[in-house]
Amino acid sequence: MTFRRTLVRVMAVQVVALALLWLLQAHYGR
Amino acid sequence: MQALDWVIVVLYLAWVIRDGLRRARGTDRLEGYFLADRNLPWWAVGLSVMATQLSAVTLIGTTGQGATDGMRFVQFYFGLPLAMVILGVTLVPFLHGARVFTAYEFLERRFDAKTRSLTSFLFLVSRAMSCGTIISAPAVVFSAVFGWPLTWSVALIGIPTVLYTVLGGVQAVTWADVKQMGVIVGALVALVIVLLLRLPVSPDDALRIAGTTGRLQVFDFSFDLDNTYTFWSGVIGGTFLMLSYFGTDQSQVQRYLTAKSVDEARSSLLMSAYWKIPLQALILLTGVLIFVFYLFRPGPLLYNPADEQRVREAQGAAYAEAGARYAQAYEVRREAALALASAPPATADAARAAFLAGDSAMTAERRLALGMAEEVTDQPARDVNYIVPYFVLHELPVGLVGVFIAAVMAAAMSSIAAELNSLSTATVIDFYRRWVRPEGSDAHYLGVSKAATAFWGLFACVVATYAAKLGSLIEVVNRFGSFFYGSILGVFLLAMIPRARALGAFVGLIAGMAAVAAVNFGAPSVSFLWHNVVGAVTVVVVGMLLSMGSGQRSAVSGQRDGP
Repeated sequence: MTFRRTLVRVMAVQVVALALLWLLQAHYGR
Repeated sequence: MQALDWVIVVLYLAWVIRDGLRRARGTDRLEGYFLADRNLPWWAVGLSVMATQLSAVTLIGTTGQGATDGMRFVQFYFGLPLAMVILGVTLVPFLHGARVFTAYEFLERRFDAKTRSLTSFLFLVSRAMSCGTIISAPAVVFSAVFGWPLTWSVALIGIPTVLYTVLGGVQAVTWADVKQMGVIVGALVALVIVLLLRLPVSPDDALRIAGTTGRLQVFDFSFDLDNTYTFWSGVIGGTFLMLSYFGTDQSQVQRYLTAKSVDEARSSLLMSAYWKIPLQALILLTGVLIFVFYLFRPGPLLYNPADEQRVREAQGAAYAEAGARYAQAYEVRREAALALASAPPATADAARAAFLAGDSAMTAERRLALGMAEEVTDQPARDVNYIVPYFVLHELPVGLVGVFIAAVMAAAMSSIAAELNSLSTATVIDFYRRWVRPEGSDAHYLGVSKAATAFWGLFACVVATYAAKLGSLIEVVNRFGSFFYGSILGVFLLAMIPRARALGAFVGLIAGMAAVAAVNFGAPSVSFLWHNVVGAVTVVVVGMLLSMGSGQRSAVSGQRDGP
């Protein structure tokens, strides 16, 4: 249970980080 | 560099050494010296883990890579968060719960002495050489930029680090890492603020111009095994690499073995899971902003002053001609960049084309100059490592230059200290106490540990001093190192499978290294990030095949260390 919660939390933060990088690329990229 | 900058560098060095000496007072037992009595808070261990991984190469080389190549390198770290979560539920409880000093010690409890000794030996060989390169990379840059002999730069970085690591052990290493991370992040943030204040265009325009050159293309979803920087190699290959590095490399394992409990050890690793990608993105974005800065201010044709001087002496006329063309192309590109920044949507395409043409002309002249430098020095030109030092020394205000130089030293010292500490631990625990003198007193082992730390420090400084001459040897050792990184991970994975046996682990390890060597030298060409996947999978498959039908497995824990 703890592992699942940790995994979800870490992956959620990573998804946000990747989404921000994706927005950076989509807005300013070639 | 002004006097104030040197004062800041000297104060930083004095601060780190003083703290190391202070920590030495409480370090009078082996467990305290190597593991801080397993009593450090998770946040200090977490910062130490991050500081160990962030070397001077990251601070100056990766920023330079951002300036020349853009953001795509960040994909390399996409597997790190998942790897940290996996380690938190697999190896961390095994290693922390086993109360071991080294990761390899655990392998003897699970398998046998020869598997432990071989993995520990492989760690010693590769880390000892890589420790030399970690010192030499910033030392070479310092020497080129300040005009010092290489020995001075090596001594400036190496001696204080060896001093506080020998005297204070892991306590000094960890608490110095905490301070060093503060200095590094502070210097990076200051660099970004100065860049944003000094750019003649808005941050929005700066990013738009950088994006035109492709530097903000973060994601590459192509499945190309030969390309290191793709989404898939980062997620799959990167996960295996990070599992190997954080799960089986003593320089990292020893960080979280000092935590108070398994939960605190997990939390320390999760700090990297949360912060590594944003930090790496910030480092690369800083490089991208430096690229934009030099769109509006003339930069040198070659950023490495030592190379530039040698090219001027050997090919003065050709270099001057290239410089003149470069200056001309710069004016064209600057005008085009300003036009692009203020271009309405209707004329944006034309402005973009004009800017890219100017940029290509400058890139062509840079390539020509880099070719001259390689011809004159007979070495690959690593100009990318000099872009940030050039910017820092020419553009940062007095005081901040000193802070940045201290940050580069901090980045180098934090990585070196952790490696020296772990090299000493593996030497004493896995070899000296295991094979040479199993029944010594704690005071005896403590003395030997300090001597071993000093020895590895001296060894690393000698390797760093002769790194240029040892270039091909270091490359061989690093390549050799990549053969066994994933394979060692495979052995640890086997250790968690109840049916795995000692013979399977040992033969599997050798088979894994052979498989990686075959992939490395054979065709088709495969990026090194995939080597870890090949090594780990081969070890597990071969290890399990050999383990089937063989005798009783050894106990997972509970055996004492040593014969």
